[in-house]
Amino acid sequence: MGLVTPVGNNLGETWQSLLEARSGVAPISLFDASGFSVRIAAEVKGDTYLSNTGHKRLSKAATRSHLFALAAAEEAIQDAGIRPDAANGHRWGCSVGTGMVSVDFPELEALQREAAPAGELNTDLLLSSSIASDPIAFCRSQSAQGLSLLVERYAIKGYTTSVHTACASGGQAVGTGLKLIRRGDCDYVLAGGFDSMISPLGLAGFCLLNAVSTDNHNPHTASRPFDASRNGFVLGEGAGFLVLEEWEAAVKRGARIYAELAGEGNSLSSYRITDSHPSGDGPIQAMQQALQSAGIFPEQVDYLNAHGTSTPMNDRSEAAAAHVVFGSHIKDLSVSSTKSTMGHLIAAAGAVEAAICALTIHHGKVPINANLTQRDPDCNLNFICDKAKDQAVRVAMSNSLGFGGSNSCLVFREPGAS
Amino acid sequence: MQTAARVVITGLGAICASGKQPEQILDSLLDGTISIAEIGGWDGENWPCRLGGVVGFSPRELINDRKLLKLIKKTDVVGIYAAEQALNSAGISAYRESLASAADDSFAERFGLYVGTSGGYYDTQYDFLPLISEANGSMQAIGERLGESVNPMWLLGNLPNNVVCHVGIRNKLKGANACITNHGTSGSLSIIEAFESLRIGDTDRAIAIGHDAPVEPQTVLYYQKAGLLADAQLTPFDADRSGCILGEGGAALVLETLEAAESRSAPIHAEILGKGCTSEAQGLLPVRVDGDGVARAICLALEQAGLETQQIGMIVCHGNGTRTSDLSEGVAIRKVFGTHIPPITCFKWAFGHLLAAAGSIDTVLALTALQRGIVPAIAPLRNIDPSLQDLPIAKVAREPISDTALILSRGFGGQNSALIIRATSR
Repeated sequence: MGLVTPVGNNLGETWQSLLEARSGVAPISLFDASGFSVRIAAEVKGDTYLSNTGHKRLSKAATRSHLFALAAAEEAIQDAGIRPDAANGHRWGCSVGTGMVSVDFPELEALQREAAPAGELNTDLLLSSSIASDPIAFCRSQSAQGLSLLVERYAIKGYTTSVHTACASGGQAVGTGLKLIRRGDCDYVLAGGFDSMISPLGLAGFCLLNAVSTDNHNPHTASRPFDASRNGFVLGEGAGFLVLEEWEAAVKRGARIYAELAGEGNSLSSYRITDSHPSGDGPIQAMQQALQSAGIFPEQVDYLNAHGTSTPMNDRSEAAAAHVVFGSHIKDLSVSSTKSTMGHLIAAAGAVEAAICALTIHHGKVPINANLTQRDPDCNLNFICDKAKDQAVRVAMSNSLGFGGSNSCLVFREPGAS
Repeated sequence: MQTAARVVITGLGAICASGKQPEQILDSLLDGTISIAEIGGWDGENWPCRLGGVVGFSPRELINDRKLLKLIKKTDVVGIYAAEQALNSAGISAYRESLASAADDSFAERFGLYVGTSGGYYDTQYDFLPLISEANGSMQAIGERLGESVNPMWLLGNLPNNVVCHVGIRNKLKGANACITNHGTSGSLSIIEAFESLRIGDTDRAIAIGHDAPVEPQTVLYYQKAGLLADAQLTPFDADRSGCILGEGGAALVLETLEAAESRSAPIHAEILGKGCTSEAQGLLPVRVDGDGVARAICLALEQAGLETQQIGMIVCHGNGTRTSDLSEGVAIRKVFGTHIPPITCFKWAFGHLLAAAGSIDTVLALTALQRGIVPAIAPLRNIDPSLQDLPIAKVAREPISDTALILSRGFGGQNSALIIRATSR
């Protein structure tokens, strides 16, 4: 597995930060956000991940989020100790959750200066603009570019796909990877997600919807999923990648197995664009299907890594769903949303949180739901607070619930337990 | 292991520059009509590329929901339109009226939605140009005046997964879903993922939708500068072909397990038999001239379908009109089929390359053509490329040699897909 997150440039750093609940939220440094209603975000800090992004030929055609992807994927490939070769490249797949297409803001500003001096695009001026003449800008802004960079770098020649279901993208990409192996299309899948919306346009989009926390003066506590005073999510960025491998093949080569990806579930809320029903309808079906696909009973689940965005509606609906799915087992189920420390990584969130679930199984520790001081009576779950909990995790579940109503749920199991 | 379910097609919908129904579009193709025209959306007088396959209907003619139309883009309009046409043609809502409430809930939860779409458009970001102009270099001013200048629903209006969302809400469909943003193979992958979800029992029924509207200034210009666009006409496999032309549209198929379709006496148009997906892994734009990715995709599809090459009745190529893509497709077909090659055709010459919807509309039209027992001619084809002259490329309409079609799609990143369908005999 490999991670680039607001709390670490790699897997180890991220995990350590989560155990210590070190917040990744801070005033925005990537651009001057002083005029925005929200001026905080969870940025990836520093640039040590850049040592893993590969040849300059690739990285020059990469956006910030593609660079995260290249770095996290490289860490995952190295960590797995296996990579595509001439003999098996066609049996490798790649499944990625990508963010919305956007161009870098300085490019948009240049486009405005050159082709829209009065604010409206002048198509004749566009003809001679520098951006429209730049083939690298074209490639960088294509939705298949992130995937293309990865499959080219590793010579992955089997089934390759990019998916986008907003905040559920990463979860769905990992779920797709599971299906590709189960149905025999691939023996190995590089699966993950990457995103960076900490840009003037990305932030603007969420500010306009009043979806992000305005706690500009208290960045560390701004993301407080399930707290009664929660007031929106905190925008994060990053990438997470997992190397998925057919069980027997992994055992045979003596691979270090973090966890078994045991099941995935997938549903559509069909309620509102931004929310699922307060009853939990939608997420419930995804969670139940994931358990069924894993052949696991609800009472076997030890840890739920909640989607837990810290928006009023999401958290209430998700908590209601957990009650329906887990019934009386809910009091014994450890729950935390790691978005409380690292913010919401949007299209990368589900993949990063999938890796975190596998780490809870591997290390026997559960990270906390930070900043939970006033419990919301509508979100009455067994939250892990204060400090990380030592707990043997045999089964972990990860939820990803997206704008548009797509819900993805992944279930991980202790290796060899099936 | 449980035997995989058989998967059938029970509903079709399509809209593009050539028409707004599969039969109508096929009629137009058979007449040899080229529905590509000068793009009217902007003043292209000085532009080196002025052609596109634009859908001429107004959004109100297609979807009667003023509130929704304020929130979505043209690509979503054609996607939702095609989807609901397919649902109607499959008789889905009529059947649901006969169900009790609990049975209908379960119907909804077992109905999947698989959509192939673009990951986003350049013009989406132009909504910020007035603000950037006014702010005159001050980022602070951009933040402060944001609410006065940009529609508060801007982000939601531009979600790539809007068609999943709105087709779900409008038609109360709640099952497994995916939104695939994979350029030219998105539409095919939406069918393939729906097919596989039905085979393994994740769903009983599903709709596979492809939609796209790439005819916007910056995209057209980028394609032109990358050498991908035709000078005047999209003439696939022609010795003088010069490139592609972009088009807008959507297409959708309702898929069901054979059991689910038979249980409600649904009209069964075809069965999906196999698929193959490959990558050439050589970067965003390059295509291997030896057709490696296409050939491997075809072999995988044949293997899953359990068919020999001589059982394929017609091949619907990607045929995007660029020199290397068409050539390498021909090379791949020759490599796999040897000397016994079924008639080869393609459709993009008539209404343009719908990118994320291309595989969807090609599959819908391949099926419609099979049902009529015809391989449509590639009307603008004059002189077949000398290096492809041994291939049975349809300069004139012919008959398919069986009821089975192979449909090929290709996309950026060296991605290829192959799909095999068999029309139900009537």
